[in-house]
Amino acid sequence: MSTLRDFVQGKTQVVSAPLAMEALNTRWGLATAADFGSDVDVLNYALTLEYLEATFYQQGNAKNLLSGQEQTYLQQVQKDEEAHVAAITATVQKLGGTPVAKPMVQFGDAFSSRDKFLTTSHTFENVGVGAYLGAAGFIKNKDVLVAAASIFGVEARHAALVGNLLGLPAEGGVYMGAFETPMAKDKVLAAVAPFLASQMGRMPSGGVDTGGGPADTGPNTALIVGGAALLGGAGTAAYLGRRHASDTADSANDS
Amino acid sequence: MGDKPTDDAVFGGRPVVAFGRDVDRRNFLRWAGLVGVGAAFVVGAGAAPAFASTLAPGQSPTPSPSPGGGASSTGDLGILNYALTLEYLEAEFYTQGLAANVVSGREMELITPIKAHEQAHVAAIMATVTKLGGTPVAKPTIKFPDGTFGGRDKFLQTASTFEELGVSAYHGQVPLIMSADVLGAAASIAGVESRHAAILAQLTGGKPFPDPFEQPKTMSDVLAAAKPFIS
Repeated sequence: MSTLRDFVQGKTQVVSAPLAMEALNTRWGLATAADFGSDVDVLNYALTLEYLEATFYQQGNAKNLLSGQEQTYLQQVQKDEEAHVAAITATVQKLGGTPVAKPMVQFGDAFSSRDKFLTTSHTFENVGVGAYLGAAGFIKNKDVLVAAASIFGVEARHAALVGNLLGLPAEGGVYMGAFETPMAKDKVLAAVAPFLASQMGRMPSGGVDTGGGPADTGPNTALIVGGAALLGGAGTAAYLGRRHASDTADSANDS
Repeated sequence: MGDKPTDDAVFGGRPVVAFGRDVDRRNFLRWAGLVGVGAAFVVGAGAAPAFASTLAPGQSPTPSPSPGGGASSTGDLGILNYALTLEYLEAEFYTQGLAANVVSGREMELITPIKAHEQAHVAAIMATVTKLGGTPVAKPTIKFPDGTFGGRDKFLQTASTFEELGVSAYHGQVPLIMSADVLGAAASIAGVESRHAAILAQLTGGKPFPDPFEQPKTMSDVLAAAKPFIS
């Protein structure tokens, strides 16, 4: 936490945005700052997606559509998503927020066959990758950023492996180019909306009163206990980039 | 799986990299020092004794900047050249590996884009270093040990180890990167390295998702693992 001050207060704006790589800058097609008012907002956004994923695999794996190594892989994916839910929940609590409630979900015919299960999984995982990358720019707490990065990378692993299980083209199916692309919140929500049976109105908001009180998952699962990771930097990057742009172009809006 | 190389000796401990120009080796040392590994590699007894002799008299590694605090963009340049060197190694590794024709079919299809990705990463990082006013480290002379590409198993297992090292290398730099844009670019690269790591683990019977969270490695740890690359 000792480094938080430096990032949040913008002391690290050593390099101006125009100096850095323009080609990659264009990848920061993020949502507007109004989308996330706090780190808890971002975390609850991520938590909803992780709930969606965890529940998806819990239901899908229970259908016994897979076998052998495939089944083992998808069971591990489920455990990963469950670990993400627990860690994000604990982190929201540690930040003094209220974890968003588990959404009601509806997966339609996603479990009607092995192919549909894996195809839907592939969509979820790639949306997850883009969502983390797109939301990271709004995270202010560096420890949270670092933790989010460590999840982001694992979602990318899931996406690639499931794409390969499906036998999709290597480029455009297993890999999505040489650089990951962030996804703005409105696009993420549009992608997952069909699977959320309720809570669409409150999903992005932080501090939602869940009415039930958060589960006690213990502090040791908190994200901010976890190791360093790259998206943390990315989030800081986008955040600082925005601050910088605002400070130089329209300081009235950002001070 | 028994002969799968470990992080500690990706290429069996044999040197595989020689910088073509002494200035590049000195630069490598300079930025290594700037980001905090200098102590391990230049001062550390026995770690890489040759490095010490390349430092001019009186030249000493700069102490590591504290994460997030006070470092200048010089630190980012160091990190970028560190990443660039790793990407050079990866790009060359796949270039030679694919040329060896030891994989085919679906495996060939899966590996071919990885080479293109690593080359794109090289180009992007070089461009970034230049835009930041720095000098991209030149591509080192790379010599992989005999047998690295002698068969499908050895090639892919080495690749798997390499990718996992790359993932942890990127994740380990987050607390040290200062520039917003450098961080953003690095993240978009790291996710792709994670995809590579998962696929190579699958192809070699390893664990595509070894942990629910990506694990970082410090530069000194990565360089220790990469030491065999650098003669």
